[in-house]
This record gives sequence, C-alpha cells and structure tokens, in this order.
Amino acid sequence: MVNYEANISAYETISTLGQCFEGMAVVNLAKHKISGTMVTIKRFNMDRIKHEAHLVEREIILTKQFQHPNIIKYFVAFVHLHEVCVVSPLMAFGSCRDLLNTHFNEGLPEHAIILILKDVLDALDYIHKRGFIHRSVRAGHILISATGKASLAGLRYACPIVLNGKWQRQIHSFPASTVRNLNWLSPELLEQNLQGYNQKSDIYSVGMLICELANGAEPYAGVSTTLMLTEKVRGCVPQLLDCTTVPTDENNEVHGDCDISNNVVSRRFSEDLHELATLCLQKEAIIRPTASQLLTHPIFKLIKKGIFLPDLLKPVMPLSSRVAVNTDEVANLDVVQQFADLELYSCEWDF
Amino acid sequence: MCNITNSDSDEQELNPEPGEVELTNRVFDVNSEEFPVLGDLDEDAHTWSNNLSDDLDVGNISNFFHRVSSEQVIYQAKKRLKMIGKYVMGDLLGEGSYGKVKEMLDSDTLCRRAVKILKQRKLRRIPNGVQNVEREIKLLKSLKHKNVISLVDVLFNEEKQKMYLIMEFCVGSLQGMLESTPYKKFPLYQAHGYFIQLIDGLEYLHSKRVVHKDIKPGNLLLTLEGELKISDLGVAETIDFFAIDDTCVQGQGSPAFQPPEIANGLDSFPGFKVDVWSSGVSLYNFVTGEYPFEGDSIYKLFENIGKGEFTIPDYIEDPLRDLLLGMLRKDPEERLSLQQIRQHMWFSRRPPVTAPPVPIPPLRNDEFHCMTVLPYLFDHYYDTSDTANNVEYFTERELNEEITKREAEQNNGSAQTNQSSKRRWKKPISCIAVRKIPGCKQS
Repeated sequence: MVNYEANISAYETISTLGQCFEGMAVVNLAKHKISGTMVTIKRFNMDRIKHEAHLVEREIILTKQFQHPNIIKYFVAFVHLHEVCVVSPLMAFGSCRDLLNTHFNEGLPEHAIILILKDVLDALDYIHKRGFIHRSVRAGHILISATGKASLAGLRYACPIVLNGKWQRQIHSFPASTVRNLNWLSPELLEQNLQGYNQKSDIYSVGMLICELANGAEPYAGVSTTLMLTEKVRGCVPQLLDCTTVPTDENNEVHGDCDISNNVVSRRFSEDLHELATLCLQKEAIIRPTASQLLTHPIFKLIKKGIFLPDLLKPVMPLSSRVAVNTDEVANLDVVQQFADLELYSCEWDF
Repeated sequence: MCNITNSDSDEQELNPEPGEVELTNRVFDVNSEEFPVLGDLDEDAHTWSNNLSDDLDVGNISNFFHRVSSEQVIYQAKKRLKMIGKYVMGDLLGEGSYGKVKEMLDSDTLCRRAVKILKQRKLRRIPNGVQNVEREIKLLKSLKHKNVISLVDVLFNEEKQKMYLIMEFCVGSLQGMLESTPYKKFPLYQAHGYFIQLIDGLEYLHSKRVVHKDIKPGNLLLTLEGELKISDLGVAETIDFFAIDDTCVQGQGSPAFQPPEIANGLDSFPGFKVDVWSSGVSLYNFVTGEYPFEGDSIYKLFENIGKGEFTIPDYIEDPLRDLLLGMLRKDPEERLSLQQIRQHMWFSRRPPVTAPPVPIPPLRNDEFHCMTVLPYLFDHYYDTSDTANNVEYFTERELNEEITKREAEQNNGSAQTNQSSKRRWKKPISCIAVRKIPGCKQS
C-alpha cells in the first residue's frame, strides 16, 4: 500500500488533463515521486469558488466515505496555497465525455455501453443503499481506468436521503450550482413541488446517460433549459438513434435537414438496450426500476463472456502509454497556470 | 363581435380572484402588466384593434358607439409568457404590504423563485415606504442564514416604475398552515421543530444587531424542504454599531404580538426582548391555537397586553408551560434571553410524535404546489394556434357566477391560505390597513 503524502512537493506535475467544476478546478497528471505511480491531482481554486466551497468539502468527505470499486477513490486531500488538492488514481481513458468528444462522436459501441452501464449501476446501487442520491449522473462524471473499469465521480452534487436520523420518502432540495447537470436531471426533481423525488431520479439520469453514450451528443444539446423542462414534464425523451428510430425514406435517406450520418442510420442497437433506456426514462418515478433491479436485466449477462472494454475502445489508447513527456511543456505548465490565475480584471483602475 | 380595446392596467383591479385563473382578455388587454418577451404572443389582439381603426376610418358614427351587452364581452383563460430579465413569471402567491408576490422561474438554473413586485407609485403613498424598502434590501443583502429568507436578485424597470425583489421560493406560511386545520394548532413535536428553527434564525439576526420586531406565524415561511424562513424585515431595525445596548424607540409590528413595554407606550425598551416576546406569543399560538392576549379593539388589546396577565390552558404541561411563562414575562429584564431559551428543558428535548403533522395547505386546490410557470411555458412552446378548440372563453356573467361560488366556498371554511383569500380589488392603500390584527376578534 503506497502512502500518498499530503504535500504538493511529493508529486511532480506532468501535464494538464483538463478542467472541471466550470473551470474553477484543474486536473493535472502527476507522478508520485517516491513510488513512481501516475496519479491525477484535481486542484480546486478556492479563490474563484467562494460560494460553492461547501460543494468541494462535500465531494471530498463523501468520496472518502464511500468504498466501492466503481466509485472514484481519493487517496489524499490537502490544502496548498489557495488551492484544495485531491490526489486520485489515474483514470487512463479519461471520462466518457472525453471519449465521446475525441473519438466516438456518434456514440460508443453497444458492448462498451453495457460494460460501462453495469459499473455505473453497481456504483449507484451502492450509493442508494448508503442513503444518498447522486444527482449528476452523466458521461462527464464517469471515468474509465486503463483496465476498462468505470468509476463514478462528481459526488459534490449528491444529497443524503437520511435527514434527522430518518430515511426520507421524498427529497425536496434543489441542488445548488447544478446548471451543467440540468439536462440529465429527472422531471420530478426539476419540477420542485411537494411530491419531491427520490433515488429513482438517478435512474432517469441513467436513461439520459444511455442516450448520451449511444448517440454521442449531450441530451437536449442546443435546447433552451425551459423547453427541456417542458419536454421532460410532458414525457418527451431522447431516443437511441439507429435504423429503427431515425425516420428514413425509401432511398434510406434521412428526412428533413438534420445532419445524421449514414453510420447512425445503418447501425442497430439491440432491443434490450432500447428497452433499458425506455425503462429508465419513464416519467412516473414509481414504475422506474431501481438500480439493483436493472442489474438483473438480461442485457448484463453478456458481461460474463469476458469482453474487455479497452479492446472495444480501440483505437483510443489509455493515457499512460500515450504520454510522451514533453519537458518543454512541463516547464511552461506552471507559468501558464500562474498567468491563468492572475485576476487581471481586478487591476483595472476606476477613475 | 365587440370592438373595444382597453389596455389600462387598472382594469386589472376588476379581475376576479387573483391568480385563480390568470385571465388575459384578448379584447380587454388586461394583463399588460409585464413586458412580454420571446416574441409572438399577441397577434390576435392586434388584428382586432386594427379592425377598430378600420371602422373609425369608414366614419360611420353608429359604429363608433357600439352597444355591447355584457354577454358579448368575453374573457379568455390563457397563460401568456412574460419574462423579467432571465426570470419567467408565474402566478400570484400572495400579497404583501407593498405589492404582489408572484412565483418566478430562473430560466438559467430552473430554480423556483418568488418575487415581490413593488410599484413606486404605491410605495410613495406609504409613509417612509421608499426608505423602508431600501433599508430592507440593504439589510437582506447583508444576511445569510438558513432560517432567514434570502434575497437572490433585485431588478428595476424604470419605464414601469417597478422594482422586483427576487427571493427564495417558499410554499406557505405557518399562519396559513394553522388556519387550515380545525384546531388552529400544531402537534407539540411539530411546533418544537419550527420553534427551534425560529430561535436559530433569531439568534443569527440578533448577532447581526438586527431586531426583527414583527415575528408572527404569518412571517414565518416554509420552503419545499420544510425549512423555516424568517421573512418580512420591513420594520426591522439595525442597532447602531456603536450603541451601548439594544435600546429601541419605535415599535411597528403586529399589535397582537407586541410586548407590554410597547403596548404601554414606553419611550424606549430593549429591542432583542421584543423578539423574544413575539416568539413566545407565536409559540403559544402554535401549541394552543389561541393568543395569550386578545381584545375587541387595538386599545383593549394593548390594555390587556399592558397588564401582562394571561392564562395558559391546563393541557399545556410543565417544561413548555414554564418556557411560555418565561418568554412572556412582563418585565423585559426578567424575560428569558435567547441563550436561556436554548438551555430550557423543553427546547433541548424533542416531544414524541403523537399525530400526523399538519400539512402545507393546497394552493388553489393544488396540494403539491406545482410550478405555476409551467402552463405559461407550455402555452408558449406548444399552443401556437389560438383557433384550437381547447381555448376557453368566459363571459362576464359566468365569471361573476364563478366568483360568488368561490366566495361561498371560502366562507364555508374550506382550507384556504391567508394570502390567496385576499381580493385584488380590495387593495388597501395605507400601511395600517394592511397589517392584520389577528388578536382582535370581530365583535
């Protein structure tokens, strides 16, 4: 067991992997100097976060509480200058959103979706049984390791089902700073009425996730939030785009002016996957299955056949084999970061 | 068909039952209150007014004064989308002392909000109206506590001389809940839950040197989550930073909740103990459904409060009885402080759950308090053809019938919140007329 120090000097920053938390946190690839293992360090810029500081706190506390192979693990968290740093294992394939953006613009292959889904449902089942609702299930919050294991992240938006020592039948709290997650959230959560919502809300998000992973695009991309709301309230949901759902004419041409490629029109997802998405996206939360019920769905029997996710993700390679350490880049990295942190606008003179 | 256009916003006052059905007449453009954005909306009304001018051009004088029977004047129940900045307007939630409170939806975050709409014209008629509002805004902006209502945003419309105070969304007041139950009281454990939150909020306010001065069930609101929010800081006073103690000289709160020192007309009194007293009266009200002091008129009421003598029903047993006696001590010096209340036996021990809790009463027959913005959005996005068969029309007479029916229903004591039962056309002008005197019984 490697002991990860709570000190930034124990890690050597190699490159920047991306941003999260609406640009208020940076994810760095780093090397743990003593053991030589590659890790990711998420650095929350607390000067910029201000009002949402409690979210960072909640994410760290919750993530450290949960012990599950499909929930992201935090080795250690510490404060360095104005930043809160969180060290976690390297998830070499990045997030599912990264995969969709970089290579699978029209969606992942069905088997990959099923493998990822299985892991996500395992994690959700665990979270729900521990008395929490995740409230931000989406491709961007699912990270894939080099071995192809999917881990759920983004616990800062989670809320407890247990209040004052009692398991609540409904939750009414509307998640703070949740704009980025809105398109995945269930109608009952968005409606904010006295009926409230429960862990089934996450299952609806799983339905959105299936559509996202299969179609490549974010659900309701380009739709105004208010229209997205009314669509959900009246039960209109996205579909898996394939030859059974995209309307075509005799010549196999797509109607209308939407730019759907032939690839999409000719592919076919299994009936089971279509059914799974429909089950999850039912408007009535009561009839939506729970995470553990979904795990008994016949579609997951496939996994026993020993399909390996990294094979399905080819030609995308996991990060560690991709990293050609460019020393110039590393040297510049700190400078770039320092420039980014400079709040230039605060120097403006007010005459 | 009738050819009358009238876009005077005062026409609204004639509108029946605020918010029961937001009525937008295609002929009388009654709902011209907020500026519509997002295009389309009103084409029909325009065509109709064009018809009118056509008639005039022809110059036929008999067309000029066209006789219209009330049967012919039709109103249409239609939800028309209005936006104030990024907020979508919903239905009326209630009426405060300075104006309407409506629901809103933040179109960025989809978070439900409430908005207090203040008309400059009306504010100027109230003594100190403008200053009071400015003070309240400044005060609310400086406060941040889970049991104190928070001000989210402030918008102005120079043209319409309106101010919009956007607040956290609440589903109702404790007053409304109490009124909806047959015995007008809460089970002990429920009262305890609210009381603890009230004391938490008050402790925060006092730590910020703010005396609320108007604590009463009507000013204690509940969020969807059941969290209590102290609201309406309209008469609150901030003690000067350099003052040696919490001495106040002015009391403006609701009479039934005023302490003896104010009822007796003392020149000055300790401010924080005023809030303790009115919290005591509120707690008394939660657990008994009655008020410790009553009077047929404000003079009688103040006379009774001034004596400081009251009785507690026998079924209220000791730790609670003792707490009430402590909070309602006539001499403010002897009255319990918030710290003493916190250490009190009744405070620290949660009473057992004995009965189901009093629920939040339905708003306009909607027990779930659904987002009232939704119908407007639906209309905007989906109902484009006005000629669709599902459009409902009402005549004046039908509306009047409906109003009398509803009034009758209300008089039958059906569950109605305090706020929604107010009539729009009975809009009181002065501040005094608005403040209800719950302690005064009609004689």
